[in-house]
Amino acid sequence: MIDMQGISKVFRTDVVQTHALRNFSLRVEPGEFVAITGHSGSGKTTFLNVAGLLEEFDAGHYQLDGQDVSRLTDNQRSRIRNEKIGFIFQGFNLIPDLNIYDNVDAPLHYRRMPGAERHRRITASLERVGLTARMKHIPAQLSGGQQQRAAIARAISGEPRVILADEPTGNLDTTMSNQIMELLQSINAGGTTILMVTHNPELAQKAHRQVHIVDGQIDQIHEFNPLRAAEAAVGASA
Amino acid sequence: MLMHDVRLALRSLKRNPILSTLMIGAIAVGIAASMIAITLYHARSGHPIPWKADTLYAVTMDLRDDDPDQGFSEHPEYPPFQLAYPDAKAVYQSDIPVRSVMMYRAGRVVAPENRNVKPFGATIRVTTADFFQTFDVPFIQGNGWSRADDESPAAVVVLSRFMNDKLFGSANSVGREVTLTGKQFRVVGVIDTWMPQPKYYDLNASSGFDVPEDFFIPFGWMQALKLGPNGNVNCVSKRAKIESFDAFITQDCVWLQFWVEFRKASDRDRYQAFIDNYVSDQKRHGRFPRKLNNRIVNVQTWLDMWDVVGDDSRMQMGLGLVFLVVCVLNTLGLMLAKFLSAAPISGLRRALGASRVDIVRQHLVEVVVVGLLGGFTGLLLTLGGLAALRVLLFSGVLVGSDNPDRVAMVQAMVHMDVPVIALGIALSLLTGVLAGLYPAWRIGRLAPATFLKTQ
Repeated sequence: MIDMQGISKVFRTDVVQTHALRNFSLRVEPGEFVAITGHSGSGKTTFLNVAGLLEEFDAGHYQLDGQDVSRLTDNQRSRIRNEKIGFIFQGFNLIPDLNIYDNVDAPLHYRRMPGAERHRRITASLERVGLTARMKHIPAQLSGGQQQRAAIARAISGEPRVILADEPTGNLDTTMSNQIMELLQSINAGGTTILMVTHNPELAQKAHRQVHIVDGQIDQIHEFNPLRAAEAAVGASA
Repeated sequence: MLMHDVRLALRSLKRNPILSTLMIGAIAVGIAASMIAITLYHARSGHPIPWKADTLYAVTMDLRDDDPDQGFSEHPEYPPFQLAYPDAKAVYQSDIPVRSVMMYRAGRVVAPENRNVKPFGATIRVTTADFFQTFDVPFIQGNGWSRADDESPAAVVVLSRFMNDKLFGSANSVGREVTLTGKQFRVVGVIDTWMPQPKYYDLNASSGFDVPEDFFIPFGWMQALKLGPNGNVNCVSKRAKIESFDAFITQDCVWLQFWVEFRKASDRDRYQAFIDNYVSDQKRHGRFPRKLNNRIVNVQTWLDMWDVVGDDSRMQMGLGLVFLVVCVLNTLGLMLAKFLSAAPISGLRRALGASRVDIVRQHLVEVVVVGLLGGFTGLLLTLGGLAALRVLLFSGVLVGSDNPDRVAMVQAMVHMDVPVIALGIALSLLTGVLAGLYPAWRIGRLAPATFLKTQ
């Protein structure tokens, strides 16, 4: 699903260069659930941004869903983001003055999807996360857990091949975190590949693999449930 | 997509009402300032008779002494804008023009037939017969008079609609009598409301902006009644001696307006030669000491020559537009601040799949909405400003006048017509786009990941 080889990303200012990713290589199979861990500043978010085509990289090769995305135009990158990737953020990143229905609609709208199909997908996504009754509420009227579920509904409404989650439980209590994790696991069980950045070791262990990053490089990879990962990969490719 | 962007724009404006109000207010004030100046300029600069742009001409001859001090106005290079009677009378005989008009304005007291109306001062246009057809004066009753009536002269008069209403209560007055300067005149026609602005056919009064006269009588009454002019009289020769009215009209004093209408534009050159020949002939009698400087000019050139629009109007319009530019720059700064404050949402939209074009277009729609709201508010402010101007600047024109034409003239001067309103809307759109183009482009260039963590 994701195949990065020798990716480097350097942030430059007038006085300093920061190597956020150094010769970073990682292959994620379709249907896999990968937890990305590491200390602050280790390069986790940069990896997720590069994987999500939100940032360009300086060197290396990247294939997403079998397509080389190294030299795409801005429009092409936007289209791939819209069609193949769903994003979940720590701070939920819901648009504050849109209600939940319209927030979930946003990515579908940029896909120029017909209204009836959009409506079907929005209601299905909200039903899946249990927020049908809250679809007319604005984000500020929801709890943190509900907001994150709304963000998950938005991420899955476009039926993406991969979901990139950047500390999705970072702002939630344990109970809420577990609920969100269960939701992500159920989405993954449906065949969607998930890459999740987390600081929480317990949540990381619920993934198939944990990739630990130090100074922009992969330090360790733990396989918690390689059998499930392999099954997922086989299931997805079938 | 467009309606979606409009909805987003309105939400965005509601999200930050103070900043939105400031932006709309800045554009509105800029639009109002420029629209007031443009309205005034537009009212002054219009062509009063465009359908005769190539056939109607003012005639001037340079009768001045060859003395550098004998200048006129701010344009000493131009001949005086009026003619002396001997010259006007001589060239009036030419049959090159299809029509010729020799005329001036006088003022006298009128004793109404109706005893309930007190005697009052009125303006009289003493003119040759072609006046009405040459300037396309509309009649509601009767007609003008013939050239023969100028010679006799016939005791006939044409009334303005206002004067007919005043004297005869709107009744058909053709055939009724009016007493002017002690002489009975028979009404032969009543003209409809007619108010060419500028009053190009006689630039004597109010910088070219005035209402037409109340009475029109044949030119022959000038001598018969010794009816002197109520306008500029310039004796342009040191030899001129005014000892009596009969002497005055033979002197080198200019006081008559003279217009001709040609059948076709090419007749103008023939007429120019005719006038030049006349002046050359007069030179042999010791008149017209200067080099030939006779000008036969169409209405637009006439208005330009005599600065009827005026540098003040142009400067006001320039200042109005400069003020609008200042408002645009202020709005640009406010928009940049507003858009950057909402950059995390734009970054989020980019992450969700919006292209750079989507983001720029969404923001451009917002600036167009701001521009239109500013424009409409500006047009309302313009109406208020023009109403205030009517009171502050033009109230003096209305003092002591019961002539509704005069009120209409003032209203026309401060009236926004459809082209000016359309210009205002276009200007507000342009203003919005100019103010928002850079902020929209800038926000579209931001990398989508830049603000996601801070959202």
